[in-house]
Amino acid sequence: MDVSEVLAAHKNKFKSVSVEGKIIPVEYDLGLLTAYDQNPVEESELKSKKDEYLQALSRDNAQLLFNEIFQLQTISDDNGVMAMLPAPTTLLPREKPLPKPKPETRWEKFAKAKGIVNRKKERMVFDDATGEYKPRWGYKAINDDGTKDWIIEVPSGANPMEDQYEARREAKKERIDRNDKRRQRNMEEAAVATKMDQKAVNKGERPNMDNVRALKRKEIENQILISKNSTASAGKFDSAIKGDLKPKGIKRQFEPTVTADLSKEKAGNMNILDRVVGKNGEDLVNVRKAIKATKGRR
Amino acid sequence: MQAYRWMIDSRDQFGPERRQALQNPFSLYRCHTIMNCAKTCPKGLNPGLAIAQIKKDMALDVPRNARVKRVMKNREAKTEENVKTAMFIRGSKTSQVVNDALADLYMLKKPHAVNFTKKNQIHPFEDPSNLQFFSQKNDASLFVIGTHSKKRPHTLTFARMFDHQLLDMMEVSIEHGVPMRDFKTPKSAIGMRPCFMFNGDMWDQNPHYIMFKSMLLDFYHGQTVDRVALAGLEYVISVTSGPMTSEGKPGKIYLRTYTIVLKRSGVKLPRIELVEMGPSLDMSFGRMQEAKPDVWKQSMRVPKELKPKKKKNITRDEMGDTVGRIHLGKQDFDKIQTRKMKGLKKRSATEESESSEKKQRVDDSDDEE
Repeated sequence: MDVSEVLAAHKNKFKSVSVEGKIIPVEYDLGLLTAYDQNPVEESELKSKKDEYLQALSRDNAQLLFNEIFQLQTISDDNGVMAMLPAPTTLLPREKPLPKPKPETRWEKFAKAKGIVNRKKERMVFDDATGEYKPRWGYKAINDDGTKDWIIEVPSGANPMEDQYEARREAKKERIDRNDKRRQRNMEEAAVATKMDQKAVNKGERPNMDNVRALKRKEIENQILISKNSTASAGKFDSAIKGDLKPKGIKRQFEPTVTADLSKEKAGNMNILDRVVGKNGEDLVNVRKAIKATKGRR
Repeated sequence: MQAYRWMIDSRDQFGPERRQALQNPFSLYRCHTIMNCAKTCPKGLNPGLAIAQIKKDMALDVPRNARVKRVMKNREAKTEENVKTAMFIRGSKTSQVVNDALADLYMLKKPHAVNFTKKNQIHPFEDPSNLQFFSQKNDASLFVIGTHSKKRPHTLTFARMFDHQLLDMMEVSIEHGVPMRDFKTPKSAIGMRPCFMFNGDMWDQNPHYIMFKSMLLDFYHGQTVDRVALAGLEYVISVTSGPMTSEGKPGKIYLRTYTIVLKRSGVKLPRIELVEMGPSLDMSFGRMQEAKPDVWKQSMRVPKELKPKKKKNITRDEMGDTVGRIHLGKQDFDKIQTRKMKGLKKRSATEESESSEKKQRVDDSDDEE
């Protein structure tokens, strides 16, 4: 039995998915769902029947692009059939610079030295007492000091008249305060280290936190100097206190009047000349405007 | 007090600027917190407290509440970036053609888009500071500004920002435009990812075309993901480059937008048909400002985490074949297995001494006999 006729008839029922007549093969960037057709456009057709020609050209290229996309590996999930795309090959500029690394906190430094690794803990914990799941922390937490015990034993040696609930609340408050202070300190140190070690930060590395105490001290001294100057006379007529910090001004540097080596002096002078009349003079003096101004004066 | 009134206002968005303005020896640090001001204030105010709070604010640049904190976190630089937000702005004078084009481009870019419906005094090629301001406020890095003048009719300016500073921009003027609403055809849903088509031989050769290609992809490519729903491929943006003009200037570009219809083809692959959905824009190029090389380089940096990992010992030769190398380690010839033979059999030192002892013993017994 010859089935070729049947096959041909079946084939003729549908339009073809293949596209012919592309001299240069079409390139694809499937990560961006893009096709680049480098074949030159037909100028005559573009002039005579623009929209039809553009639609036909786009259809052909869309067909080629879809042939590529439908041949990719697919998976199906809740959103239907998904095609797995490769990474884009066309590079596009970023919106913002690369993120800067955050300075190490004291805890991170300690944990690294000790080899402590963070374990992921579940948010909800089973409570044996009530037989239900409760959050590990926060509102209605399993370990909520306020609601956990309806009776507390007075510890031995403690004042029997002391309110144990109150003591517990106080202790918690203290813990929170202490933690907050540490957080504050970490932030201050991080700010100082980032400011002082711009070299590392620009390179995309973590700033050096080794002598952060000294840096912080220096920063505080700077702040004190600013606040000392902040008087009615901007620090001019204030009586100095013995042993107080003295602001370090910029000392003027004088070049020696007589030197054996004159090249430095020459280079300095040439630099000035260059900037005014030399090859870089255009930036400093608007020649067109200058000519106009002198002409106007005459 | 007045400064503090603004700084604690939750609607105020100029916190960093205000703090910067107060960073000098005369504003805050003149106060020594003697609190006479609060004692004698006829209205019962407390300027000392306000000054102390500002000092604290300046020392620690922290967000005011959880919502602000979340927003700030989302705006931070990331390795995998958010989808770029585009702003569509009308200049001081626009035409209907420009308005229609802006509205349509906005529809295609939604939901990552901000549309300004009022007119703005904005001339990006003369002064880009407005753009930088808008970019900061809206966390947007893409701009389309529509203007219309006698010298530059029906003009769209596409601009890109990097780190809220202008990266590059280009002008195109619309010579013929048909808005989306004039096509009585089905439209794609909002927020779908388009497919792109760049037809013609100019897209890699002329700087105008190269920048337009990069701009268009940057505007509409959406989130970079590793998978795409095949049913979600709804429309195509097709751009065709016209021939160069006789003076050697870049020619026209024809932007067309089509919805995709998948038809049966008798084989596994579908037959594609396109239906024009609009907008349809014929444009010519105007002014262009390319990015500064150093800024461009910085903006094209790829974070280490996103770079493809190098596969060790696998290379590709000139023929395109993949070649692998295997490291076997150092070969110890003493341990190499050769032909097994009794004479070559190696024995350990103890075994050898034992056997010699045995021999001796045999000799001894012989003597006894």
